[in-house]
Amino acid sequence: MAKLDLSAITKSFGATRVLDQVSLSVPDREFVVVVGPSGCGKSTLLRIVAGLEAASAGEVLLDDRPVSQLSPGQRNVAMVFQNYALYPHLTVAANIGFGLRRARMRRAEKREAVARVARLLEIEPLLNRRPGALSGGQRQRVAMGRAIIRNPAVFLFDEPLSNLDARLRMQMRSEIRALHRAVPTTTLYVTHDQIEAMTMADRVVVMNGGRIEQIGTPTEVYSAPRTTFVAGFIGMPSINMIPARYRGDALELPSTTLPVPAAVKPRLAGHAGRDLLVGLRPEHLDIRPGGDGLVAEVDQIEPTGSETLVYLDHPAMRLSARTAPDTALSPGMQVGLRLLLERASFFDAETGLNLVPPPSNLTGELTA
Amino acid sequence: MTDTATRPIADAPPRTTGARGGVAARLASGPLPWLLPAVAMLGLFYLYPVIEAVRLAFTDARLFDTETAFSMRSVSSLAGSSTLGTILRNTLSYTVASVVGQIALGLAIALLVVRAERARLRGTLVLRTIVLAAWVIPAIANGIIWQLLFSEAPFGAINSALRMAGVAPVAWLSDPGNAMLSAVIATIWQGTAYSMILLYAALKTIDTALYEAAAIDAARPWERFWFITLPHLRPALLVNAILILIMTLNMFDTILALTGGGPGRATEILSLYAYGTVFQNFELGRGAALSMLLLVISLTLTALLTLLLPQERR
Ligand SMILES: Nc1ncnc2c1ncn2[C@@H]1O[C@H](COP(=O)(O)OP(=O)(O)OP(=O)(O)O)[C@@H](O)[C@H]1O
Ligand SMILES: [Mg+2]
Repeated sequence: MAKLDLSAITKSFGATRVLDQVSLSVPDREFVVVVGPSGCGKSTLLRIVAGLEAASAGEVLLDDRPVSQLSPGQRNVAMVFQNYALYPHLTVAANIGFGLRRARMRRAEKREAVARVARLLEIEPLLNRRPGALSGGQRQRVAMGRAIIRNPAVFLFDEPLSNLDARLRMQMRSEIRALHRAVPTTTLYVTHDQIEAMTMADRVVVMNGGRIEQIGTPTEVYSAPRTTFVAGFIGMPSINMIPARYRGDALELPSTTLPVPAAVKPRLAGHAGRDLLVGLRPEHLDIRPGGDGLVAEVDQIEPTGSETLVYLDHPAMRLSARTAPDTALSPGMQVGLRLLLERASFFDAETGLNLVPPPSNLTGELTA
Repeated sequence: MTDTATRPIADAPPRTTGARGGVAARLASGPLPWLLPAVAMLGLFYLYPVIEAVRLAFTDARLFDTETAFSMRSVSSLAGSSTLGTILRNTLSYTVASVVGQIALGLAIALLVVRAERARLRGTLVLRTIVLAAWVIPAIANGIIWQLLFSEAPFGAINSALRMAGVAPVAWLSDPGNAMLSAVIATIWQGTAYSMILLYAALKTIDTALYEAAAIDAARPWERFWFITLPHLRPALLVNAILILIMTLNMFDTILALTGGGPGRATEILSLYAYGTVFQNFELGRGAALSMLLLVISLTLTALLTLLLPQERR
């Protein structure tokens, strides 16, 4: 059990700066998911926390104690690697029990501890096998068993589900969450999969190019993205970005001008004449056959069962909308779109920043 | 066979005997045609000489004497020979010391190089090349080089160095007790490169994430070696041991150049003894019998080591 703080972590490999002033504060027992595109420095950040890599500048604190001088083994962290890194020549039981080698416990106690973890992860029948004889999902569980048996201060996960198939990934997502409920431990979980971030996290850290773009609850990063990057990265299909200009109570959009609802006006105050980007989630575009407002052509229809995704072509952009499954649309149709501007995010087209800073705090303090 | 071979694989259903394939296709699906070339080569260049040597062992053949008669003398003379006892004892100590030394030193250098590479130190390529250079030198030249180094004459390099350091010179080659040690050192020096390269390659295939996991599990260096490195190296170590064992058992040129088997018979090992028997005493039959003994020893030890190799599950 521990509180984890990163203060202004910077890391360079030679001339390339991989992490730039990354600060993050994870309270005891919180499950934080770090998400970002490939190469943004997520693994590097995790490895710095683990002590496998040294930061060029900045400090890692566990319970307010700097740990930079400690070796990975002294930090009392546990890590689950992407390829699991199970010891191939040891049995599952020996793999799980490896962290107890020097624990002051009797042999029977250690065996009981391994059995308890195996029971928790439902891998008891596998204890005498070698990792080579396990499926991906089973290896994943053994790797987690090896981590939890040590009762670490912090759990580190580096894309632990990326080698699993879709169904198993979904199952392991909820199992890892269940495990966290059963054994609440401060967790830093790295992934490039925004669905994992949204479904598992207490708080999400969105990274891009070695910097933190936003820290917030899944709802916050989804509905109040701080930057256009966060808006585009979170959410599937991607958010619609509509170029616009605010002028005298109206929004000039490509090929149309819309009145601005009274509720939205305060958010746009002071930005008249600026180039803006209106971020609208697909569920906030209403398709009106026949058409008024923005007119676009239906390009592609993707029924998913519970809903239908409609991709639309407009001369200035490509849009997507979420509709009920019983839609009567077909490709080639001209449709009008109604924009739920009350739900939109407005970004400065130049800086990419949300005009209204989201409620969450970038420095990572919990907003009470 | 040609017409099945030129057909794209995707079109050719496995193990069918289509109208066009016929006998050729049926043959190709069995192992025999594929093994035949190798069997023919091995039979001609390896098996035939071995059979010939077995035949010679049961004759009284002499090197320049074409008239031979079948005789058990060559074989039976070995049975009670006290010289052979000495030779076998020499062979045992020379082989064990050399093989263990080459593997241990090769492993140590390989670990060092890999470690240095992980720490991104410079010069690991140079180190590897230098070690490998020893392997390129012909064994006979290696023997001569070490003879110069060990030489007890005033120009002997090692003794000169010892003298400069204020240590009394050592009778490296003339003392029967030291001569074997010197032979082993010369052999290890040359053979280490081979082990090093083999084990280096095996070490490079170990997933570094395992060492990171071990670091997080607070494993000490010996634990990392014992639980990760060593089990991973086991097959490579065994293969290495087999190859080095055979090479060392058959090694005679280094010793020939270094000590010629002396002083007395102090460094005379089985291969050198067989060589001397044939080419100095011209006793071809007896030499062949000694070679047979060497072959049996090699095969037995190889078989024993092979048993230790991890078996693939069938
Ligand atoms: N040892 C290294 N030497 C040089 N550059 C490195 C090293 N390790 C990582 N990098 C670089 O640092 C950047 C971040 O790497 P990192 O592995 O942290 O990315 P990531 O966010 O985990 O990506 P992914 O999702 O693909 O795993 C990459 O551009 C990578 O090329
Ligand atoms: Mg990564």
